Amino acid sequence: MTSDQELQSSFQKIADATQLAFQAIRKLQAKAQFLQPSPLDGQEWYELLRQKLVPQLGGDPWLVAAVVGGTNIGKSVVFNHLAGCRASSSSPLASGTKHPVCLVPSGFEKRHDLQSIFPDFKLHEWSVASSALEESADHDLFWRSAPELPSTLLILDTPDIDSDARVNWVRADAVRRSADVLVAVLTQQKYNDAAVKEFFRKAAAEDKAILVVFNQCLLPEDEEFWPIWLKTFCSETGVNPDAVYIAPNDRRAAEALTLPFYDRPWPVPDDWGPTSPAADGQPRDLRTDLSNLRFKEIRLRTLKGSLKQLLDSSTGAPSHLKHLQRASEELAAASERLSSEAVLKIRDWPSPPNASFVAEIRCWWKARQQGWAKKVNSFYDTIGAGVAWPFKKARDAIQGEPIPPLDKYRESEWTAILTTIEELFDKLQWMADSGNRMVKPKIEEVLQASGRSQLIESLKRHHSAVDFEAELKDTVASEMESFSSDSPELFKFYRQLHNVSAAVRPMTSVVLFSLGMGPASETVAPFVADAAANAAIHVFTDVAGGTVAAVAGDTALSGAAGTGSGMLQAWFHRLHSVFTQRRVDWLTNLIREELLGDLPEQMKSAAELPQSDEFVTTADAIKTLNSLVEELDTNRIPQ
Amino acid sequence: MNTNQQLEHIALLAEVDDLTYRLKRWIDDCPAWQTAHKSRALITRLLERVETLRFRLETPLVVATFGGTGTGKSSLVNALVGTEVTTAGRQRPTTKTPILLVHPELEPEALGLDLSQFQLKRVDAPVLRDIVMIDCPDPDTSEGPSAGSNLAILREIVPHCDVLIYTSTQQKYKNARVIDELADVASGCRLVFVQTHADLDSDIRDDWKNFLSPSYEVPEMFFVDSGKALSEQKAEQRPSGEFGRLLNLLSSELGAAKRVEIRRANLIDLLQEALVACRSDYDTGLPHVESLIKTLDEQRKVLKDTLTKQLCDELLMNRTLWERRLLSSVTDMWGFSPFSAVLKLYNGLGAFIASFTFFRARTSAQMALIGAVQGARWMKSRAKEQEAESTLDRLSTFGISDQQLQECRLVISGHIHAAGIDYAMAEDRRDLTDLRKRAASLEDEFLGDASRVIDDVIEKLAAASSNWFTRCRYEFLFLAYLIFLLGRVGYNFFWESFLAPIFGAASSPEPLLKVDFYIPALLFLVIWSLFLVSMFTWKLRRGLTQRVQNFAQQMAESRLVHGLFPNLEATCRHISGDSQTLTGLLDQTTQFRRNIADTSSGFLGGRRET
Repeated sequence: MTSDQELQSSFQKIADATQLAFQAIRKLQAKAQFLQPSPLDGQEWYELLRQKLVPQLGGDPWLVAAVVGGTNIGKSVVFNHLAGCRASSSSPLASGTKHPVCLVPSGFEKRHDLQSIFPDFKLHEWSVASSALEESADHDLFWRSAPELPSTLLILDTPDIDSDARVNWVRADAVRRSADVLVAVLTQQKYNDAAVKEFFRKAAAEDKAILVVFNQCLLPEDEEFWPIWLKTFCSETGVNPDAVYIAPNDRRAAEALTLPFYDRPWPVPDDWGPTSPAADGQPRDLRTDLSNLRFKEIRLRTLKGSLKQLLDSSTGAPSHLKHLQRASEELAAASERLSSEAVLKIRDWPSPPNASFVAEIRCWWKARQQGWAKKVNSFYDTIGAGVAWPFKKARDAIQGEPIPPLDKYRESEWTAILTTIEELFDKLQWMADSGNRMVKPKIEEVLQASGRSQLIESLKRHHSAVDFEAELKDTVASEMESFSSDSPELFKFYRQLHNVSAAVRPMTSVVLFSLGMGPASETVAPFVADAAANAAIHVFTDVAGGTVAAVAGDTALSGAAGTGSGMLQAWFHRLHSVFTQRRVDWLTNLIREELLGDLPEQMKSAAELPQSDEFVTTADAIKTLNSLVEELDTNRIPQ
Repeated sequence: MNTNQQLEHIALLAEVDDLTYRLKRWIDDCPAWQTAHKSRALITRLLERVETLRFRLETPLVVATFGGTGTGKSSLVNALVGTEVTTAGRQRPTTKTPILLVHPELEPEALGLDLSQFQLKRVDAPVLRDIVMIDCPDPDTSEGPSAGSNLAILREIVPHCDVLIYTSTQQKYKNARVIDELADVASGCRLVFVQTHADLDSDIRDDWKNFLSPSYEVPEMFFVDSGKALSEQKAEQRPSGEFGRLLNLLSSELGAAKRVEIRRANLIDLLQEALVACRSDYDTGLPHVESLIKTLDEQRKVLKDTLTKQLCDELLMNRTLWERRLLSSVTDMWGFSPFSAVLKLYNGLGAFIASFTFFRARTSAQMALIGAVQGARWMKSRAKEQEAESTLDRLSTFGISDQQLQECRLVISGHIHAAGIDYAMAEDRRDLTDLRKRAASLEDEFLGDASRVIDDVIEKLAAASSNWFTRCRYEFLFLAYLIFLLGRVGYNFFWESFLAPIFGAASSPEPLLKVDFYIPALLFLVIWSLFLVSMFTWKLRRGLTQRVQNFAQQMAESRLVHGLFPNLEATCRHISGDSQTLTGLLDQTTQFRRNIADTSSGFLGGRRET
């Protein structure tokens, strides 16, 4: 009694844990979409979880028995014998039964929710036998009250498992998973068919109770063969039948529901022969035999069998998790490779025009001067402009209106952008070709040929809308601010402004995909704002000419004694770098908006899947379930 | 085999040869396109089988059983040869090693089969006079084609078979595995459909036929009881019923006369199916190629529009050149007359001066304006000196910018990749030399067209401004001054200085007109003619803007023959043509297959056309 209660409570715990695991797995699957995991639907362990364990664990027990087998071997005949009437249509033509028919003990449907027991089927109340023969895209299930059945026994007729109508297989599989007892109808022609063997191998793995019925036997000739057949069948599938019956090939008796089922011993005793007394015994009533089965024991056994399948380390949920983890690691490795190799090196980004910088700095300076100095300055400026005016006019007349340097810069920047985009496409193509299977389709989506001209158009639009004047102003303002607070030598600096000849080409690299590993994390330049450091795309700029120049520049800048043209040069290098950095940042953001979308983030999150909450929760749930089942095994009092 | 039959064989083979020849030609002419390569690999493999057809002319047809385990394949074979040559049993599967049944007079080595695979039995049965039979293992007890499994053995044998006897029973006729396997092997085989176990099962042939007809030709189905037929033959009776008919047909309809016909039909089936597969591959691949073609066209149009716009702008800026062209064509039209002489003189002087500028300034618009003939001559002499440099220079001052080239390349390379065309773009992204050269020659082509159009425009403009009324007016105005001048000079020369004193009209002769007179007279002549010329040219220039716009319109309607990627365009055209050839081949083969199907013998079924 106590053991029964204990059992009940431990099953309740298992039921709760199963529910948790079910929810967690579904959430994880949704999260892991990027990794293209094999779909849950159709995986045996998941279908068992959904169709058997979730609906049947907990609550009071009942037993589902199903008649299964190949097409046109008399499943429906056997079922009708169980039902005691022609509940299911039979015909000489193959794959007649398309939908399962279920006999339900009276009142059962009021005590239980039939729909939750058969989650994949659309339930209909049985009216005529032929409705199960009609083809329809839905998975239908026709149920019918059978008062003569024990109150906890459901009996089903199922579609075939080997005809070309593969939807029948799906339905038969769904019934198999829900079932506790399978009435396996076999014939001489089909007992060794591949499809039949595959089906029963799964049933055996789930520890179903199996009653074998050898139908259409030639009696008495086949008495000597059936043990051989059954032996082959059992050794091929791992089935251990709970009972064996043979039925003669007697079409008339089958039609009249008077087919005799003779029970046979299994395993066959050594001294047993075709003429042994059991061989010519009286036929048995299948329904009575079914009703006399030990329900509780079978139920426990099949639930445990299904749980074991679910928890199987090579075919169950743990292996699914392992696959996800492996895929994620694979992706992480691939991404790491991508982040180190798929770096866009932008070599010929144009240098911003010095003249504009100088003009901008003067402008900034002017705004900051006060009182007497300002007056003097503006006086000289006016004089200067007045003197220069005729020369300027003359030059314009001779050489034509000069193109403003910023316009020139805009032009050459567009060339640089085009080159960058071209290189970007090359890199992406390379990544699609050499990347792994998960990355490939996503990148190919990005690479779609038809999108390219639109991309160019929209980049062009954005580019022509950029206000370089303002960009320059911002750069100069922010840099001058920091400079003026650092260095007291401002005036000297201003005086030498005309000496500036800095023309460096900052070298800029864009790391397209980064997981915070690889070169990006080391080299993300100090200029990069905090926000950028967290993003998946990184930009870092270096002054062409190598680090030496940059370092020298830095020291020159920071040292208080740093004076003269060297300092000025370094400072200008820095100004260029910052400006280029801003421009490339701008481009990168645009590329990301227009082309890559959230692909880098998606990749990052997929590569970090094993650390995600969803994954950890699922793994924990499976672990808990595993230990509960083990506990059940060890604590169980042998009966 | 008599002469007549041999001739017939040769005729049958000749038709196949023709098809083979066309297929080979198609294979050799392969565009640089992945789908095309793939399809050709498939067809090439199949054509190898055509060769075996030739070798196997003399050998008997290979007839094999095919069907699920327990459907009575071995029983049927036993019954067909009339004795128990292969074990028919109640255990599944019974037959594991295929059994090859040949007539004692036949050399089995000639069959081209790997005899080590078979258990060879020589049986002197009437049905084996013209055919050999194989009792095959089943396709449905093995869960996969692992080595040594029945399925693997079966798959090894079936490609060598000409006719399959497909047996089934009430229990198995819808067995998915057997159907799937049949679908894989049936192409290239004739089929005979047999329902066995007539003693136990109901007749399901109608349902079976309905089930098969969507994908198979099912002319006839036999419902046989092999056990009964075997015992009848053992009792020295002729087998009765459907079995008797089947045995008769197998003995009489698969003779030497039918061999080539059946094998040819099998081969054509295979070829046709392979071509259908190729066609559907092409159909999936072609839209990408078409979108590439469309993009190339669009780019060509954009380039041309750019060039046209640029040219129009420059044409409007080079008014003096226009004037000169117009003047020369007007004077050409007018022939010799005083005013046209003035125009010629003016034009000649202008051309002399301008010729210096031509050699220096050489924008494309000027080129076009100088005209096709002159321009070509000029180009030629220039080309000798600095061919590449000049075109490239010209390009940089005109029309297509590097950026535009880069954009084109960017878009096109995406399409190329999507279409799966083998086409190498430049290795170095910064290297635009090739494209620039292409663009320059594109521009030359464009300018050639433009020159012709400009010539035309000038012709028309000149004609419009030089009608007789205009001409008379100008000639009159010019002549008026000349006449006045001549009158003045003549009056002075003849009358005042000579005749007047003689006739006593004047007391003394007036002095002849002095230089003081001629200088202003000439001056006014020059001024007057200049005035008239500029009036005229002003009139000519009027409506120029309008004309240039017309010109742009005209250019917009014309079309550039080549784009920036001529090889790529050629490849695309090649692919389109190739696809059409494929369709032609497919049509021919399908037609061939239908013709053969019409004449093939009645009881043999086969796979339906897809």
